[in-house]
Amino acid sequence: MHTRTWRLLGAAAAFVALTTAAVGCGSDGNSSASSSTTKAESGGDGGSTITVPGDYKTIQEAVDAAKKGDLVLISEGTYKEAVDVTTPDITIRGVDRNKVILDGGFELENGIRVLDTDGVTVQNMTAKNYVSNGFFWTGSDRYHGSYLTAYRNGDYGIYAFDAYHGQLDHSLGSGSPDAGFYIGECYECDAVIDTVVSEHNGLGYSGTNSGGELYIINSTFRYNRAGVVPNSGSYELCYPGRSNTIVGNTVYDNNNDDAPAIDVALLAQGNGILIAGSINNTIERNLVYDHDRTGIAAVPFPEEDASDVVPPASELKTPCEETKDDELPAEGDVPDIVMWNATGNSIVGNDVSGSGLADLASGTIALDDKSATTADLDNCFSDNVFTSSAPADLEGLAPCEGEGNGGDFEKDGLDLLVLINEQAPAPPKDTYKSTPEPGTQENMPNAKTAPAPIFQGPEKPDVDAIKVPTKPSN
Amino acid sequence: MSTGRRRALVAAAGVVVVVTAVSAALARGGSGGTSTSATDAGPWIERAIKPAGPATPVDPERWTGPQGRTGQFVVGCDYSHSGSNDPIVHFGMAGMSHRHDFYGSVSTDEDSTPEKMAKGDTTCDKKVDDAAYWQPTLYDHDEVVEPMDLHAYYRAAPGVDPQDVEPFPFGLALIAGDMTATTPQAGDATGWTCGSRTDLHDDPPTCTPSAPLHLVLTFQDCWDGQYLDSADHRSHVAYSKGGECPTTHPVHIPQLTTSIRFPIWNGGHDLKLASGNIYSAHGDFLNAWDPAGLKREIDGCIKRGVVCDLASNREEEDLFASGPLPTKAEAEAADEANGSKADRAN
Repeated sequence: MHTRTWRLLGAAAAFVALTTAAVGCGSDGNSSASSSTTKAESGGDGGSTITVPGDYKTIQEAVDAAKKGDLVLISEGTYKEAVDVTTPDITIRGVDRNKVILDGGFELENGIRVLDTDGVTVQNMTAKNYVSNGFFWTGSDRYHGSYLTAYRNGDYGIYAFDAYHGQLDHSLGSGSPDAGFYIGECYECDAVIDTVVSEHNGLGYSGTNSGGELYIINSTFRYNRAGVVPNSGSYELCYPGRSNTIVGNTVYDNNNDDAPAIDVALLAQGNGILIAGSINNTIERNLVYDHDRTGIAAVPFPEEDASDVVPPASELKTPCEETKDDELPAEGDVPDIVMWNATGNSIVGNDVSGSGLADLASGTIALDDKSATTADLDNCFSDNVFTSSAPADLEGLAPCEGEGNGGDFEKDGLDLLVLINEQAPAPPKDTYKSTPEPGTQENMPNAKTAPAPIFQGPEKPDVDAIKVPTKPSN
Repeated sequence: MSTGRRRALVAAAGVVVVVTAVSAALARGGSGGTSTSATDAGPWIERAIKPAGPATPVDPERWTGPQGRTGQFVVGCDYSHSGSNDPIVHFGMAGMSHRHDFYGSVSTDEDSTPEKMAKGDTTCDKKVDDAAYWQPTLYDHDEVVEPMDLHAYYRAAPGVDPQDVEPFPFGLALIAGDMTATTPQAGDATGWTCGSRTDLHDDPPTCTPSAPLHLVLTFQDCWDGQYLDSADHRSHVAYSKGGECPTTHPVHIPQLTTSIRFPIWNGGHDLKLASGNIYSAHGDFLNAWDPAGLKREIDGCIKRGVVCDLASNREEEDLFASGPLPTKAEAEAADEANGSKADRAN
């Protein structure tokens, strides 16, 4: 047993590894304001304001003392705290995003960690220098992060796991080796990432096994090692990632050799929007340019030590919660490599340019005669502005409406096996500690006086109204 | 040697001391006889360890499959150092032990006490974890294999009500697996696997660079509420069954599972442990967590039933450092040469 004939593949076990990259360096991180849609009610029975350090010396004490509907309002200052939130339906807000600083000193783990607690809004502050994450919701519904700056944190900038009905907006995630923004393990997530900037990270956005009413819109992903990378794998629950809507984002120059990186960021490096084993995603009207490898690509995640096989299409609508305790196949019944193919993705109306290998790409690795080939992936491409694709003439081969032209899917296709060995060298583990300082970030309007309604969940965005962004002038 | 210091401490506690291996183990003490008071880092007080008891089952019920099925926190600890020392089994006696690889506390040696460890640095990502973790050094063709890292998963054992889980008492010593075994050990306390898989094997399976060899150890999750250690280093703790702790060991503590990653893949290996053949796999845990930090993680993650951390194969680094990948033909040839794992293990 355990004879693994294709171990060469699994070694890379991840994403497209194309040519290594040039340096991209960023500067300002100002998010351009646009309307964010929040369905809100005014606070319930609480509604009083608790000040820090006025009423309580620490944020933790104030949060613990707060009641439903309260606003914890934090004055300017540096707070060396790791705050655990277990009080539901409250708002935690800084008076000035750039001057209310939570500082982990590279010792503390999370700036603000919301644990199995619903309705927690965190606004208008900065979390930096945490060993794990800047802002973190786990097992919590109705989460809302707004006007947040997270930088130089050791895992993720702003992170939601096993969390539903959330919104992250007007925020910056910078300088983390994993993702600046991450939403993972949820279906249907019912979550919106709107008007954020993610830069200098290993991955701009990552989400493993997440999707369903998950919108990533109107945001900027730049100067990361890789831009937007929804992905799948049975090492965590709720596989596969599926049904994400990625529209109207500006994704450029994600080739950053100086950014911190976990291993998969090295493999994903140099790609703008990389659909790595995630399925049935909508990728429309994004502006994507200047990537060493691909602009928008659908590629497989070959999982070598998989716990399970790819579930059948009939199970894709099953809520995450109902699949968590599913029985797993015996070890011998799981193939040596489980190929999480990126299938059923719709790539329409994007403006893609300046890609080193291909502006648009779709590919897989056929392990044997029974494996899916690129022609079987059912990814479709239409109405994009682009100059190169792999395979050649991708829009002719796989249009989103009507039949393909019957051409050869193998012509000028992505040779993933050859590319997999060519990845950037791993940076030192502490690279995240010296990533660029973000510039001054936009404050939320009237932070000291604005009401603090209990967050009830995101409003479904009007995706149809979103246009392809124009190129920023810098 | 710290004999002088230890004698003074013992004298202060008014306990007759005999300097033997067993009495050396006595030196790890806590201040109280209940789980509550024992979680405080109390004064260094001598206390008799529990006499060896009857053999208890060594088959944990453990979590398998993808991560995240239950509330948990996970600590990642880099390999720290190695030495022929063992502060649980051979306290105070330098060089008495087989060679161990240490993680967590950077100062672990024959004289380590939880108090000393708590004051020092740690290789763990959670800086409140000053505990020591160790396992016998792995050898490949008689060459030392330097391990890559260790991940420590803290969860309520399957079936256990998370609300019943109490923090480990400060100074608690745990050993999973049987260092004297020469044939496959019964149960799932110890075993080998590849990557993040959770199926365990008596013999190290043939792994791959992206999913290299791991030693997985699952420690006892029921404590007698009194002793931090015992003469056989086991009788003070037990494994739960069906979510229940035995009446002799009524206190639920987190089920600790450690997974140690070795840079071992493909075939052609001749593996053994410093403690004997490959079946002697075991590991140790000596608790020196900051008590407040440990309680915070147990309350916030285990009791609230949320996943506070994950450790997946996404963290692997430098897997290509040993050279280019083998071709398919080379990999197959290596498998051929590898032959029967059971034969190799002896």
